[in-house]
Amino acid sequence: MSDFRADQRLLKWLDERYGIAPLVEFLREKEVPVGGHPMVWYFLGGATLFFFTVQIMSGVMLLMYYQPGEQTAYESIRYIVTKVPFGWLVRSVHCWSAHLMITSLVIHMFSTMMLKSYRPPRELTWVTGFVLFSLTLGFGFSGYLLPWNELAFFATSVGTDSVKSLPLIGEWLLQVLRGGPDVTINTLYRFFALHVCVLPITLVGLVTVHLLLIQRQGMAPPIGEHQVARGIRFFPNFVLRDLLLWLTCLAALVTLALLLPFGPGIPGFDWELGQKADPLAPAYPGIKPEWYFLWIYQLLKEFPPHLFGLEGPQLCLLVVTGLMATWALIPWLDRHARHNEPSPAFSDFGVGAIFFLLFLMLKAWDIGGNAQNSPDGLPDPAAVARTCAWILIPVAAATTMLRVAVFRHRWFVLSGAEVLHVALHGLGGVSYLAAGAIAAALAAFVIGITLLRADGIRPGEGGRR
Amino acid sequence: MAEATPARYTRRRVLDLLLGASVVAWLASVFYPVVRYLKPLPLAGPSGPARLTRADTTKLERDGFAIVPVGRERVLVFEDPSGALRALDARCTHEGCTVRYVARDALIWCACHNGRFDLEGRVLAGPPPRPLVRHNVVREEDGSITVSVTRA
Repeated sequence: MSDFRADQRLLKWLDERYGIAPLVEFLREKEVPVGGHPMVWYFLGGATLFFFTVQIMSGVMLLMYYQPGEQTAYESIRYIVTKVPFGWLVRSVHCWSAHLMITSLVIHMFSTMMLKSYRPPRELTWVTGFVLFSLTLGFGFSGYLLPWNELAFFATSVGTDSVKSLPLIGEWLLQVLRGGPDVTINTLYRFFALHVCVLPITLVGLVTVHLLLIQRQGMAPPIGEHQVARGIRFFPNFVLRDLLLWLTCLAALVTLALLLPFGPGIPGFDWELGQKADPLAPAYPGIKPEWYFLWIYQLLKEFPPHLFGLEGPQLCLLVVTGLMATWALIPWLDRHARHNEPSPAFSDFGVGAIFFLLFLMLKAWDIGGNAQNSPDGLPDPAAVARTCAWILIPVAAATTMLRVAVFRHRWFVLSGAEVLHVALHGLGGVSYLAAGAIAAALAAFVIGITLLRADGIRPGEGGRR
Repeated sequence: MAEATPARYTRRRVLDLLLGASVVAWLASVFYPVVRYLKPLPLAGPSGPARLTRADTTKLERDGFAIVPVGRERVLVFEDPSGALRALDARCTHEGCTVRYVARDALIWCACHNGRFDLEGRVLAGPPPRPLVRHNVVREEDGSITVSVTRA
């Protein structure tokens, strides 16, 4: 009982000086709505935050030995992994936690998208979340240059090279990012500053804003409802659940880090140190970026050298920017959700986006390419496209059945267009972009007709609209 | 419009304009040095012809190609099937990866996005938008090899 009194005394002492009683009262009263959505979606942001905390702690530990520099960056990581007691574990935890953070962040983002929690008044929560997502990708990108190995060198060459297609500031930005015209050790110094200083500070600041916005507005009720009747106490009920999840995350993280210290060995998901970066060595066969960049990597391969008067990579960058901007602006594009009405088209847009990314990822892995038996030792692109289509189409069919049976979805134009795109390209042998254009045109046609019908245009009235 | 003219230049409006202009000037004076600081200085250094080192020649004999620095450029030097030396820019015109010479198929290949070039540097397949720049390579009488870059 004396502890209890000490506890009370401390609270009283603080309250007398800082007036914290309202804050304590607020925490006592705070509730989390239940019954609206499955609870599981409420925890993914917390899981992402947990992995980010692990990143900061393991990152600080790596900093105690890591030395950026031409003769030291690669060597110090090798020293950490081979000599420092448990150094391999710290690096393994840092790498695993990075991948798990991005995984939980992506699931968190897609769940928010599917539940339409971005609709008013929560548009800025979505936008800050989108910026946090971009910063996290920046973390991944700047982080994998730091070991100064071959993969790092080429990944950074490609990743930074694409900014040169930006109009006006492209050349300046390229030089600023690289610290010179080429990727050199100067690039590593700049990325080091970004990775351990600029990005963490920005991310912590923005996470605070993101959390304050959520705190201010509470969880979004399901679409069509204004209030959820039931709630559970935030403290201690929800917090204990959160802690339990974090404990599970930690257990999973440590298990993975122990059993697979260099990743599962899938291209884009492993972090063997490999050879030291050598600017005078050619890129090695089978080089791939991290899994969350694979879709851009594959898209770069799909663009022809020239199209519509632009160079392929420029147009590709334009398409990726357009897709990202659309994603960021969803709260304003989804007009049904803005009026708190069901918006099946945007649910379908989310599913279509997943199919789109999944297919590019499968292709990037060269599944079914049979590189060993081909005459030039390279995977056969047509065979890869066919195999990946044969994987994606059943997955899409199963997803659609699940959506019909469980979620009562009735709108499949966009996801259907993506499946058509995949089928035309993989099974019909049409080029990726041409197949995409056909599918997009068909989808636009169907959506146009649907919109016209929904607007209820009667004959004779059409001209005035 | 004529009635609106006197109200245009109130004291408040003029002061606001001056204040706005001074804020812009202040921001510019803060950001100009930052922008200049971030852009690295152009690299100084020799850009004339480079002679292949012993290590480069060994690489050339062993792998059929070597990538050598000539000033700021990286140049791919290789021996074509007829035994003649050729030199091409080693930076892929797609996304800047370093290409390699594949002797078996007599082509230049970039592993990053599967771009292929012929031995003259012209694009054969894949996404690269431009040919590789050709450079000059000479085998001197003493057997040493000299590479000089052509400005594109």
